[in-house]
Amino acid sequence: MNVRRRVGTGIACVAVLLGAAAAAGPSDEIDGPLIRPPTSSSDPRDLSGVWFIRLYNPQINSTLGRLPPFTARGKAEWDARVKAEKDGSPIADASSYCWPHGVPRVMNSPYPIQIIQTAGETVFVHEVAHNVRHIYMDQPHPQTLTATFMGDSVGHWEGDTLVIDTIGLNDRTWIDEIGVIHGKQLHVIERIRKIEDGHALEDLIRIEDPEFFTEPWYARITYAWRPDLRIAEYVCEENNRNMPVSGHTVAR
Amino acid sequence: MTRARWVARALFGGLMLAAGILRAQAIYTPPPGQNFEGVWLIQGDHSTVRTVDGKLPPLNGAAARRYAAALQARRAGKPDFDTIRTCRPHGFPRILFAAYPIEILQERTQVTFIHEVHHMPRLVYLDMTLPDLGDMDPNWMGLSVGHWEGDTLVVESQGFNDLTTLDSAGLPHSQDLRVGERIRKTDADTLEDVITITDPKTFTAPWSTRVTYRRQPGLRLKEYVCTDSNPEAQASGHR
Repeated sequence: MNVRRRVGTGIACVAVLLGAAAAAGPSDEIDGPLIRPPTSSSDPRDLSGVWFIRLYNPQINSTLGRLPPFTARGKAEWDARVKAEKDGSPIADASSYCWPHGVPRVMNSPYPIQIIQTAGETVFVHEVAHNVRHIYMDQPHPQTLTATFMGDSVGHWEGDTLVIDTIGLNDRTWIDEIGVIHGKQLHVIERIRKIEDGHALEDLIRIEDPEFFTEPWYARITYAWRPDLRIAEYVCEENNRNMPVSGHTVAR
Repeated sequence: MTRARWVARALFGGLMLAAGILRAQAIYTPPPGQNFEGVWLIQGDHSTVRTVDGKLPPLNGAAARRYAAALQARRAGKPDFDTIRTCRPHGFPRILFAAYPIEILQERTQVTFIHEVHHMPRLVYLDMTLPDLGDMDPNWMGLSVGHWEGDTLVVESQGFNDLTTLDSAGLPHSQDLRVGERIRKTDADTLEDVITITDPKTFTAPWSTRVTYRRQPGLRLKEYVCTDSNPEAQASGHR
């Protein structure tokens, strides 16, 4: 079953991504034999295993249940993207180009995430587009950073909460799939902890970028523990039917 | 400082230390001989793979013709067979021969290889066995399962598509490809992978090759984005 699943998602493009999201059942529904215990480890700092977003929404709302506090620029960029989509010529985002999805966007995707913890590093292996996040533990960001799609992430524990600080992001990814974008000043602080007796994971995401938002704002995403899943192969580059033309996504 | 305060501080410190040790146990620490964790870089040029004896692998007639055509295409500057030219995966085992760092992460039930090139992960499961090849849908990286024999990680992989080649030169394979690996440390900073290729539709007999990787202390994987539109990055093959 898992082997079939591996290949079931082995083709990828925006259309498939949206289709899979629509077809999927509740993300905490176990649909195969267990390969891990039915709940995650009783150790609150042991996040290892596979998690799957709940209540996936391609639009990211703030914890206030509404759009982020846009600056004029942020609002204009949002409006332009919503209009382009409505007009049938969506502006292409990083995922359409098979680029890494960036932070925090990669945390908002209807595909499994495997967390691996070693002594100095926490690694997130995302099924979607084989994104990998490296979170270096208990150390500062490097003195000089070149902007990248996934940025530079460092983490530490505050009690039973994993705090991840991410900077050094380029301005070619979006924050959501609809039209919340960001610039190079984006600073993301995530507070990740287990909730519901280890059945779920919470990521409270603080998003700061003075160019696009009038003040820092928060988004909250939760993930279900999925002891039945292995990460499947997802190769965006193989069969991208939506490769953008002149910056716009064209369905073919 | 009063004696009472000193004792209180010492007790508190001891408790914190104990708590730290207990915490640390959540993270799996492999036994020293089995500890491959860290970042490794391949030694030598493996763009044209040869057997452990330095010979051409035992291609059958049809496969030898495909290989010759690939070599000719490469010489002519039109290696259309090469999937990485269009940012498609190297596939396995070719990615093992890439001249980019590999990070290894170890858990009790999984050994994870993160390849810098194409930021491609390979997950080796220690808690399952391979299904029958006939029950698998082929993909780029196949399915890898492993177990420990002493300090050697023994990995078997299958379930590959036939879009990739075994090396950069164009050594072919079929969907019946099975790859065995015996991975071990030959010294603290050297990792050896003896790779055995079995593919009766392509080779007249199983054959093996050997690669070594050198530990890269302090090196972090960089972001490698093949699909990035930076022309300089694409021209150089680097990020």
